[in-house]
Amino acid sequence: MSFWSRSTPEPEKQSDSLPSQALLWLMASFALLLTPQIDRLPLWLILVCVALAGWRWLAQQGRVRLPGRWLRTGIMLALIAVYLVRVQGSFTVDTAASFFVLTVGLKWLETRSARDFYVLFYILVYLATVNFLFHQEIHWALVNIGSIALLLIGLQVLNAPDLPGGIKAGWRRLASMLLKVLPVVVLLFVFFPRMEPLWSVPLVSGQARSGISDTMRPGDISNLAQSSARAFRVTFGGPIPAHRDRYWRGLILDTLDNGTWRQSGYEPFRRPGRVDVDGGIGALEPGQYDVLMEPTDKRWAFALENSVAVSDNVVKEAEDLFRFRRPADSAVRYRLAFNDSAVQVSETLKPGDARRYLQLPASGNPRARELAAQLRQSTDDMGVIRTLLNRFREQPYFYTLRPPRMPSDGIDSLLFDEMRGFCAHYAGATTFVLRSAGIPARVVVGYQGGESGAGNEYLVVRQYDAHAWVEAWVEGEGWIRLDPTAAISPRRIESGLREAVADEGSFLENNWASAQRYGNVAVIRWMSQQLDRVNYQWQRWVVGYQGQSQLNFMSRLPGGFGMKELGYFTAGIVGVGLLIAGLISALQIRRGRSKDRYIRLLDGWYQLCGRAGVPVRSGETPATLASRLAAAEPAVAESARLFARMVNSHYYSAVSAPGSAKGDNGQHHDDELRRLRRLLSTMKRQLRRAGKAQPKIPSSNAPSGKHSD
Amino acid sequence: MSRLIRSRWQRWINRRIPRSDVQRFTQKNLFILPTAAGVVFGVLLLIMLLTAINYQNSLIYLVTFLLGTVFVGAMHQTHRNLSGLELTLVQAGEGFAGDDIIFRLRAAAGKDDAIAIALSDGDTQVSLGHVPSGQSADVALPVGSAFRGYLRPDSIRIETRFPFGLLKAWSWMRPVSAGVVFPRPVAASDVASAVDDGDQTSSTRSPEGNDHAELRPWRDGDMSQRVMWKRFARSGQMVVADWEADKGSPHWLDFNAFSGTDHELRLSYLSWLVIERGKSGARFGLNLPGQVIEPDSGQAHATRCLRALAVWGEEKPRDMLRAAHGTRSNTDSGGKAMAGART
Repeated sequence: MSFWSRSTPEPEKQSDSLPSQALLWLMASFALLLTPQIDRLPLWLILVCVALAGWRWLAQQGRVRLPGRWLRTGIMLALIAVYLVRVQGSFTVDTAASFFVLTVGLKWLETRSARDFYVLFYILVYLATVNFLFHQEIHWALVNIGSIALLLIGLQVLNAPDLPGGIKAGWRRLASMLLKVLPVVVLLFVFFPRMEPLWSVPLVSGQARSGISDTMRPGDISNLAQSSARAFRVTFGGPIPAHRDRYWRGLILDTLDNGTWRQSGYEPFRRPGRVDVDGGIGALEPGQYDVLMEPTDKRWAFALENSVAVSDNVVKEAEDLFRFRRPADSAVRYRLAFNDSAVQVSETLKPGDARRYLQLPASGNPRARELAAQLRQSTDDMGVIRTLLNRFREQPYFYTLRPPRMPSDGIDSLLFDEMRGFCAHYAGATTFVLRSAGIPARVVVGYQGGESGAGNEYLVVRQYDAHAWVEAWVEGEGWIRLDPTAAISPRRIESGLREAVADEGSFLENNWASAQRYGNVAVIRWMSQQLDRVNYQWQRWVVGYQGQSQLNFMSRLPGGFGMKELGYFTAGIVGVGLLIAGLISALQIRRGRSKDRYIRLLDGWYQLCGRAGVPVRSGETPATLASRLAAAEPAVAESARLFARMVNSHYYSAVSAPGSAKGDNGQHHDDELRRLRRLLSTMKRQLRRAGKAQPKIPSSNAPSGKHSD
Repeated sequence: MSRLIRSRWQRWINRRIPRSDVQRFTQKNLFILPTAAGVVFGVLLLIMLLTAINYQNSLIYLVTFLLGTVFVGAMHQTHRNLSGLELTLVQAGEGFAGDDIIFRLRAAAGKDDAIAIALSDGDTQVSLGHVPSGQSADVALPVGSAFRGYLRPDSIRIETRFPFGLLKAWSWMRPVSAGVVFPRPVAASDVASAVDDGDQTSSTRSPEGNDHAELRPWRDGDMSQRVMWKRFARSGQMVVADWEADKGSPHWLDFNAFSGTDHELRLSYLSWLVIERGKSGARFGLNLPGQVIEPDSGQAHATRCLRALAVWGEEKPRDMLRAAHGTRSNTDSGGKAMAGART
């Protein structure tokens, strides 16, 4: 078809030089889009991007030249080689995002035409999309949407370099457009059916994140204690449990090997399943609690003791632990409930388990083993435990974030020489002693405590709440929790790390920028709490608006919306939205054309003439048109002439000229208009009658009678 | 098959957009489609939607919907850029074959600003820039010409891609008026002497009492010696024998002088000669089969001669004729006339 062949070969406005303004907006957007990634991207990549963008900008200024093809290819190959070496074959969204960033950086050298500009536009829009996988907080959402707005401004500048009214008009145009579409966006967001993931997708990140790990060397957790990053937030259906009862179990370490505690069996490799962020629906019932966990890239979920899973995305596994079906590569919400029924105490430990929980290295830490032997001789299992805890309580053990280095036989030097350590030290040592005494024991790693968010509505657990404690198997009792830290520093358990190390002054000592460090300052505390609350609600209700929560929301609406109905409804929204938009613009056009009632009447007359086969010619007076009409259709001759005369007298006679009294004038006009209208309808009637009397050549498609002067 | 579709399409377009020197763009005659960039953008939105579904990420849904609706919003904006705009052909240009003929057009914006408008005819594209609401702007559109005669672009395309370049709205204007393309001048110095020769052979004939004498009515400024008093005595008409015209043969540029050459080439020679004479300010006349232009001098005369050369043997484009004495539609049945015009 002709318009295809016309339009396709047309180059995309092959302008040799892009407008500097447009380029500037593109670069600004790129810089803004990098900010959410700044903690993730390797430094070299950021520097490369800055250098390449700077090069492009200088070239735009005419100070340097863009590289030729060979140099460009060389730079490209070199950088991609560096990238491949750094990535080392791991494919995650993380590495893909880095590749995107690299592509944009390289593309700067090649941004010559509008086509390149659009390529960059697409990449940057998708980069914004990828950013949402990493960060879903409200401020990052604003940053991402803001940079997309910058891109759209850049496109406007590209398409109209000398934009009238400058950039301000561009912003105003964009803002009014966004305002107009906002209702549709909201409706679509609410009603667009959230389908199940179609296939399983690569993990967002393969890199280690800060958070507890599945090995514990004394010192690991004290590093974590310097981080105020959020681990998770919890809302309770009932009252919030007391601080001392908030033991969030994460994983169990049962093998001591060369001074390091680790998990015995390796977790079998499983392909990452589909994303399932359905965190359960409905209001929280009294026994339930709702956890919104920050991404850890691990499978484990944190739960209070004696819980059961409520939402689908967590499963309870052995040893009372909870696991996700897919590593938590983005923020994930899950729901658990306290187990009401009495705990079933299994009477005996399986032989395999007993061996597992009594495993010890063949040698090392002789004094600790000796202590265990002493304890063992004097009393039973419970007695050993009690005596050990009493020892911690009575002797001058210290809880410190600055433990001394204990290179060889660390447990011995902790227990008998230094007597200063962090929770991981004491947990490890306690387990060691218990196992030496023949009591099955294991180290539990997780979090302990958490502080209240704004208005005591929820609990925030941070990385510095990471904790390690001990569980021991006592015949008849089952697994019991014992926490040597509680014996040494009750304040850690009762009110948190801040209080526990207040004397030492080591709380977040390396973390100057953290708001939590200044938690004692009321204003800062209040502000960070309010910010956190906004983000928490945002994450729960906007970010977490998925699958079940959508259906739950729908079920509250009348009509019983299901998935299928949602689909129909969405299609309806799109259709109706388009229709309304079309109607509005059509109305606007019509209104703009015929504000004057006379002109509207005249338009009607012209249409009538066109239908009668007398299309209006450019620059024709009403009188000539009327005479032509009369010649073509004698039936309407009289009325047509009269009509023309009246139109003439309206436009050219002195009566309607301004000067006469206003009200009188208006009255006169109304009369005139009424008569004109009557005449017009008379003409129509006469025409119809004439048409019936002698069937004419069908003047089917009304010629677009056009009168333009 | 594709030719059939194309001709159907062209007919449909022509029906929508009748020939006129004034074209107002409305929903009826505006077309809008995504550009290549817009199509890729659509694919990108689809990929974003898939990402949102597979990662169950609400914010990606949100941004996808946002961009999708912005795309629709841009459709309205792009459409509004052109709708209400009125394009008028102010002047159809004149020039020599092979050159670009300048057509002057005026664009008057309607209720909305018309932003980043471009006009094109075939290969040439001219940016019209912006026309604020209620104002108008002039633009010169060069139209390539190959042959002499009437030049009328079949359609002048008007297009905008503002704001984002993801969509283009376009329409056509099909002007009625035609420009005039003069024959391409071809140096005719040698032949010019032949003209002289030819003229001299004819001038051997006596001017007096001769059918070939160039007789014309008396004009102001004619010398009294030239008046053919005998004839005046006989008929009472003041007739002047144009001695110079006859004797000074170079003053007559004659189509028939170039015997044996192609007609178009003759016209090219004449065109060159007219320009030469026009430059030197000499008096000359032009003799074409069926048309004679009396000797005169000056720029206006030269232009008149060139026009005559340009359209010699050419017919005015049909629609133009209709418009020139356009009372046909009320003499015969209007419907038929319209139908004929539309095809």
